[in-house]
Amino acid sequence: MADKTKASEIKAINGAAFADRMREYKRKPLSLVMLLLVIISAALSVAALVFLIVYILIMGVPNLTPDLFALEYNSDNVSCTPAIINTVIIILLTLVIAVPLGIGAAVYLAEYAKRGSRLVKIIRAMTETLSGIPSIVYGLFGMLCFVTALHWGYSILAGAITLAIMVLPTIIRTTEEAMIAVPDSYREGSFGLGAGRLRTIVRTILPSAVPGILAGIILATGRIVGETAALIYTSGSVTGYAKGLMSSGRSLAIHMYMLANEGLHTNQAWGTAVVLLVLVLAINTLSSFIAKKISGKRIR
Amino acid sequence: MKKSSGILAITTAAFILTSAFAGCGGSSTSGSSASSDRQSGAFDTAKTISVITRESGSGTRDAFVELTGVLEKNGENESDNTYSGAVTVNSTEAVITNVKGNDAAVGYISLGSLNDSVKSVNVDGVEATADNVKSGDYKISRPFNIAYKELKGVAEDFVDFILSSDGQAVVTKEGYVSTSENPAFKSKMPNGKITVSGSSSVSPVMEKLVEAYKAINSGAEIELLTTDSSSGMAAAMEGTCDIGMASRELKDEEADALKSTVIAKDGIAVIVNNSNTVSDLTLEQIKSIFTGETTEWSGVIE
Amino acid sequence: MSSGKIKETLMRGVFFLTAITSIAAVVLICVFLLINGVPAIGEIGFFDFVGGQKWAPTNVPASYGIFPMIIGSIYVTGGAVIIGVPIGLLTAVFLARFCPPALYKIIKPATELLAGIPSIVYGFFGLMVIVPFVRDSFGGDGSSLLAASIVLGIMILPTIIGTAEAAIRAVPESYYEGSLALGATRERSVFRAVLPAAKSGVLAGVVLGIGRAIGETMAVILVAGNQVNIPTSLTQGVRTLTANIVMEMGYATGLHRSALIATGVVLFVFILIITLSMQAIKSRGEKNG
Repeated sequence: MADKTKASEIKAINGAAFADRMREYKRKPLSLVMLLLVIISAALSVAALVFLIVYILIMGVPNLTPDLFALEYNSDNVSCTPAIINTVIIILLTLVIAVPLGIGAAVYLAEYAKRGSRLVKIIRAMTETLSGIPSIVYGLFGMLCFVTALHWGYSILAGAITLAIMVLPTIIRTTEEAMIAVPDSYREGSFGLGAGRLRTIVRTILPSAVPGILAGIILATGRIVGETAALIYTSGSVTGYAKGLMSSGRSLAIHMYMLANEGLHTNQAWGTAVVLLVLVLAINTLSSFIAKKISGKRIR
Repeated sequence: MKKSSGILAITTAAFILTSAFAGCGGSSTSGSSASSDRQSGAFDTAKTISVITRESGSGTRDAFVELTGVLEKNGENESDNTYSGAVTVNSTEAVITNVKGNDAAVGYISLGSLNDSVKSVNVDGVEATADNVKSGDYKISRPFNIAYKELKGVAEDFVDFILSSDGQAVVTKEGYVSTSENPAFKSKMPNGKITVSGSSSVSPVMEKLVEAYKAINSGAEIELLTTDSSSGMAAAMEGTCDIGMASRELKDEEADALKSTVIAKDGIAVIVNNSNTVSDLTLEQIKSIFTGETTEWSGVIE
Repeated sequence: MSSGKIKETLMRGVFFLTAITSIAAVVLICVFLLINGVPAIGEIGFFDFVGGQKWAPTNVPASYGIFPMIIGSIYVTGGAVIIGVPIGLLTAVFLARFCPPALYKIIKPATELLAGIPSIVYGFFGLMVIVPFVRDSFGGDGSSLLAASIVLGIMILPTIIGTAEAAIRAVPESYYEGSLALGATRERSVFRAVLPAAKSGVLAGVVLGIGRAIGETMAVILVAGNQVNIPTSLTQGVRTLTANIVMEMGYATGLHRSALIATGVVLFVFILIITLSMQAIKSRGEKNG
């Protein structure tokens, strides 16, 4: 009963507000124009996205045949299974290199360095520079340094190290933000109980920052999955499963690029695009799930 | 207060969404009907030719400009006179897509990649077919070379296979032109691993050859790296691969360091949109189109 | 106790080392690019390289002028900004201020998905949809400055939406309420009170978008036409610095290859300028805010 009156009251108030608003817009048409512009822009953004995704699905889904997921690659089925496995290997290897480095750097920046000191400023500037470098430049660097100068040849390892440098800033930034967000009272409590700085970090701060670190890792994973320009000059384009760290193997994105390139398997290329899209979607869902877990307590 | 704007926003977004879907469906149907209209013979010869070319350095482009005379040699100097307004793309697929979607476009691709989404033009009255390439009547063709320092074990056996009638049957099946008349293949069944690397034009047929060879000799492991002709030759010279592939003739410094064998010949098909009424071009006309002298289709269609 | 102290110092050292990895990485990247690229610039001549109009690496004698590519990169990026920034910014305003929560739950993940789609997919989408659209509506080959700008404009949307939205949300609610209390409409309050306060964050987003647009490779290459020409109209093709590297890197040997790496150096310098200006914007924003 009480709810009902409330609802009708709210309705009435809304109606009044709406009418008021219309009157106000008549006096100030510019506001209405701005509102319309805002809504049109948002709609355009959404329309672009919907169109893009629907188009990829229309072109790709009919080509998702069992052949595309056969265990062994050959030039008739152009299976993307080996490419998926290679992608997973590259992701894991990249993270094994980048995560410890990134967390270590974040720990130093957040817990050891004097905030605002010159060194911190330089490190910050460098990480930001790293995050701004386009992937093609990473590709050139990886080729010049690992493939040519170190004579590794096109290899999974060369690709993974190149990508590790590329995603390092992402991991540093998210980890550092997560650690700074840990309230100082935790540190004071831990110090007060007689724990050293290292123990405080390992036992108190890092565990509280785990969700933030995870979010960074997932963000990095997303970037690795979609990367083409940096990998094509470092991990190469050999089909089939990579035989070891020093052998070449194509990732899923490169697989799609190669398929599309020779013009013999365009349909399968679109199928692969759908697989990529699903992967990205899964990664995003996972990350927003974790983000919700973190922010559930604080924001909203 | 918040609610009314919410409703407004939702309805607007829903409207845009539906119109986006409708637009999507609509555009695809209108696209197909437009192309069928064009096929019914309403080709406008006054259209400006859209020239599609490959990136400089590509084996396909090297061979094409040399054979058509777009590349001008003047003593020591060489100048690639490809029309500076030509759309440049770096894959066969991109050439086909451009020509398929643009009724005024002209491009060139490997004969093995030709499909019926585009139309190939007769050159000097000769149709672009494997037979005509083999007989030499079709003028725009190039060799697929493999090059190596020394052959032994698996590499030697594999090259024997490629040049045998079994290997050449694979070549022919893929739409390329066989070059060797060797008898059937008998493997010595060596074990080991080799790396083959080079031209992306050769690698589709090489991939088929590798698969067919592995079916005979399962003890061999062959890694195929797709890069390009120059990298393949460089890798063979450095010894980082056992066999290099090139979709062009070897350059002098490459020929000095490596032994090479032609494993197949490939025609380069000049392609136009299916709705284009042109069916025959002379080498002279092709040259004049690709150097930008002829800019309208009426210049080559009577 | 003392062993604990050793451990403390040791780990501090380890953390310090990991922290300077990024410095080492930037230095390494600079060194490798410069060693491989600068000699080529020297050999070609700085002004012939950066200011030269003709790029004909396979000619004998070859010419290596990347001026058209520099202009191409700037034009394409400018086009992307003109298309992407207004739409992205207004979408961010919508998401932060006008969007009902139910719709937000759909649109927000959707823009994130847009950010995650690999660029090669954008490229093929552009080639199949946007290039024919430009050709049919505006004439020309279709592969053009305009097509590249549209594709890049869509690609930088998520970057701009994301950063601008965060910046707008970071403005204290009191700005908005104060403006409303003074009798301004909601829209006026947002555009006159909230948005100016979020200026530096929004600007950072725009600069980030510019960085992404200028460095984009795989998508641009398929839709830009890649002619080595300075375009005089929107429907003409352009070649960007990134496209120049990717198209010819595979084939290049000798000086040609070094010239392409030098192209990478020029691109790197552009990115450095952008990153530095972004840091300047940020530090100014911190001082003001």
